[in-house]
Amino acid sequence: MELDPFQADALRELGNIGAAHAATSLSQMLMSPIEMTVPEVQAVDIADMHNYIGNEISAIVVFQIQGEVADGGYIVVSMPQETIVRLTNQMLGTTDADREINEMDQSAAIEIGNIMISAFLDATAELLEIVMLPSPPALAIDMAHAAFESIIAQMAGDVNDILIFNTELTSEAPPIYGSIYMLPKPELMQQLFTMLEDLMTPLT
Amino acid sequence: MKNNFFGEEKAVILGLGELRVGMCPMGTIGLGSCIALILHDQRRSLGGLAHIMLPESRGNTDRPGKFADTATSTLLLEMERLGSTRSAITANVVGGASMFEYSANSLNIGERNAAAVKGLLNDLGVRIAHEEIGGKVGRSVYYWPEEKGRLIIKRADGTCTELF
Repeated sequence: MELDPFQADALRELGNIGAAHAATSLSQMLMSPIEMTVPEVQAVDIADMHNYIGNEISAIVVFQIQGEVADGGYIVVSMPQETIVRLTNQMLGTTDADREINEMDQSAAIEIGNIMISAFLDATAELLEIVMLPSPPALAIDMAHAAFESIIAQMAGDVNDILIFNTELTSEAPPIYGSIYMLPKPELMQQLFTMLEDLMTPLT
Repeated sequence: MKNNFFGEEKAVILGLGELRVGMCPMGTIGLGSCIALILHDQRRSLGGLAHIMLPESRGNTDRPGKFADTATSTLLLEMERLGSTRSAITANVVGGASMFEYSANSLNIGERNAAAVKGLLNDLGVRIAHEEIGGKVGRSVYYWPEEKGRLIIKRADGTCTELF
């Protein structure tokens, strides 16, 4: 899968808008500022996935992209274990940072993921004037690469590389870190490009 | 990315859909629904590892390691080409976890992967020496063909098993 510079730019910009809204929603939840990296868009060969997605124990919240778009594509929020514990503490007003992940953390991870991804998809869909919705979330708390394997298996039966949009969100106080990944299937990709091109064609 | 392969320099880390036959240490990091299929020939200190992603190739041939059917036959073929006899080869099967809670079945391909690999090994008459499949935990696998097929399975919860 090769992206021309226009396509990469368009996708980066679309994701940028979505991620900015997701960051804002996270910032509102925590009542603290959130920094966001410049998004990256790249086609990654499945065999190189382990160089790209780490092996750290993380909470991985996965949504399928649904709505008025071609079926196929996932959006993922990945947060390291310590971040989840801190977020739960922050929201519940508890302080014990040195503990195992419990059920409350799992609910918190799903809820935070839900709010961020709804904001992400709302913003991108509004730009494109279509409806995009997240499916109900699926959660894994495990090695990040292990969790991604299930997603990649759904996407890469017939292709050997996957297009990944990625941006990182961080906050210093509390020290938290998270990533948003969007993995569109080729059909969805094509549809997004067509809509973005239409959007950029000046009215005549 | 850091690979904590016990400090082995020659070790080969196999990514999704890759396979390898040889005598060097091999491993896969972060196995979820995928399967690490290890074929070991004790007599020749030779072995192969495939990082299998899906049960059926359905005509795809460009990456044999990706699918259970093509990976199993390719590993066997390459080992036999290097002098192994089928009766000397034993298999280890690791992985095939179901990683997601609260999820539609589509993300839980692990079970189907495991069933496919075990069925194929049975049909081909390859004995399974050890299997650790299913569950909902990620695993990393390290394998040393030259050290009697030593195998270390490291799980996401921090536990470790060393075999042979």
